[in-house]
Amino acid sequence: MIRLFKQKERVMNGIFFISAFMSIVSLVLIIVFMFTNGIPVMRKYGFSEFLFGTVWRPTASSPSFGLFPMILGSIYVTLGATMIGVPIGILTAIFMAEYCPNNLYKILKPGISLMASIPSIVYGFFALQLVVPIIRDYIGGNGYSMLTAMLLLAIMILPTVIELSESAIRAVPRSYYNGSIGLGATHERTIFSVMLPAASSGVLSSIVLGIGRAIGETMAVVLIAGNQPIIPDSLLSGVRTLTTNIVLEMSYAAGDHRQALIATGVILFVFILIINSIFIVIKNREDTSE
Amino acid sequence: MTLKSSVTWLALFSGSLLLTACGNEEADSSASAFEDTSDIHVITREDGSGTRGAFVEITGVVDENEDDNTTPTATVQNSTSGVMQAVAGDIHSLGYISLGSLDESVAGLAVDGIEPTPETVASGEYQVARNFNITYGENLNEAAQDFYSFMFSEEAQNIVEEQGYVSVDVQTPEYKSEEVSGEINIVGSTSVEPLMQAFAEAYKEHNPNVTIDITAPGSGAGITAVIDGSADIGMASRELDEEEATQVAGVDAIAVDGIALIVHHDNPLEEITLEQIQSIYLGDTTTWDEVQ
Repeated sequence: MIRLFKQKERVMNGIFFISAFMSIVSLVLIIVFMFTNGIPVMRKYGFSEFLFGTVWRPTASSPSFGLFPMILGSIYVTLGATMIGVPIGILTAIFMAEYCPNNLYKILKPGISLMASIPSIVYGFFALQLVVPIIRDYIGGNGYSMLTAMLLLAIMILPTVIELSESAIRAVPRSYYNGSIGLGATHERTIFSVMLPAASSGVLSSIVLGIGRAIGETMAVVLIAGNQPIIPDSLLSGVRTLTTNIVLEMSYAAGDHRQALIATGVILFVFILIINSIFIVIKNREDTSE
Repeated sequence: MTLKSSVTWLALFSGSLLLTACGNEEADSSASAFEDTSDIHVITREDGSGTRGAFVEITGVVDENEDDNTTPTATVQNSTSGVMQAVAGDIHSLGYISLGSLDESVAGLAVDGIEPTPETVASGEYQVARNFNITYGENLNEAAQDFYSFMFSEEAQNIVEEQGYVSVDVQTPEYKSEEVSGEINIVGSTSVEPLMQAFAEAYKEHNPNVTIDITAPGSGAGITAVIDGSADIGMASRELDEEEATQVAGVDAIAVDGIALIVHHDNPLEEITLEQIQSIYLGDTTTWDEVQ
């Protein structure tokens, strides 16, 4: 009897281990595939040419693969989206956690979750039909610009930031709130000076996840950003990000060109690694300071 | 905060939004009037587009190495319909598309005094024109071979004329259906796709047991798909270069098509010269008043 139980335990142990193993294996396979296909072409043309070259002409007779405009494009667009979306997201989370009346909350919460599940191409379409003409008529340029991309990505990262920040704020022990109120602080002062700092690790992780989504967004951006492989010189200039670069050309790229696009993926991967590492460092510091 | 006060805030906010939307109706129509001093919003296709390849070759938008030298500030759209939608929505834009796809949503320009029509393309007067090519790899299946000969039949070439393109010589005068069955996978140009859809529909009347799958990610993608075997037939709206030609089993032209320069309907410009097109797409001419 005991042996049967022990066998069952071992079998289940094995099943769980295999599942975990498969996730790690997929990650390792992706990393190995990208680096083995991307690094050779980077070495052939020179790492500095790839990272800092400003000319992207992969189909010319003497091709040049300068990714700097795309790297800058990704950075600018993500920064802009974060600067617009994160404050709105955190303030919305505060509203939902501390100010929202229950009946409104029952509508708002599913609404935000719905926003998170809308496919990104639908967001892109929405921006193409609504945001692009508004920017073209009231602000300038031809509507397909960095500004459009920043606005759209800000809207797209809102659900991520709101949901996680709200959980983080709600997870702060009520005793903190009661203690602060008991000491004479107002509702607003308590939230911004006591609750929000206490929830900072959760709020920070929501910001990092939002940044991750913004930097990886492809289909929505390709419809509205203009896709010119140039260094953007103004908010209204067109822009191409690392992700849209891949999606625009992958279907017909061949040889060195295809490997250069995989190299674009490698650089993107490195970016995500850096962002996640910063997040882990911050989290560790939070945990050790507890 | 109570439910009542939050609903009041919501109502006030949405109300003010609605008012600004309604109030700006007049500003809206004047904001979309054509201005001479505005920049030309140049629209081009993606790198792998056959239309783009043919266009830059014919108009001379190349550098000293014969490489595509379209100005990097041109907005990139990755399909024929993308260019049409972009031009239809922006009064200061200029783009180029397959002549057969031209419809009422945009206006075609006359080039060097010649209107873009199938007749002027056939006679050679309208110079901005190219072949629709189809390529195939080794080992075409029976259905694909039969479809191939169908495309050069009189019936198919009549479809070419009906759709607004110029036909090529008929090679199979009387197409007889042999009731083949199978799957045909066709990949390639967004310009050729409407014609190919019309062919597929007519072909399926003769051979209802054949399934034809058509996708249009662009000419370059179509040629690559034939080379690596993932497509039976590739559609290209440009000529194949030497490297590509050695890697496919064969290539033939099924139609001739013009490339129309298109602008928004409210744009007063009606004709343009080849030099002006070249200068605009090289980035030397930047505002609309330089094109009058």
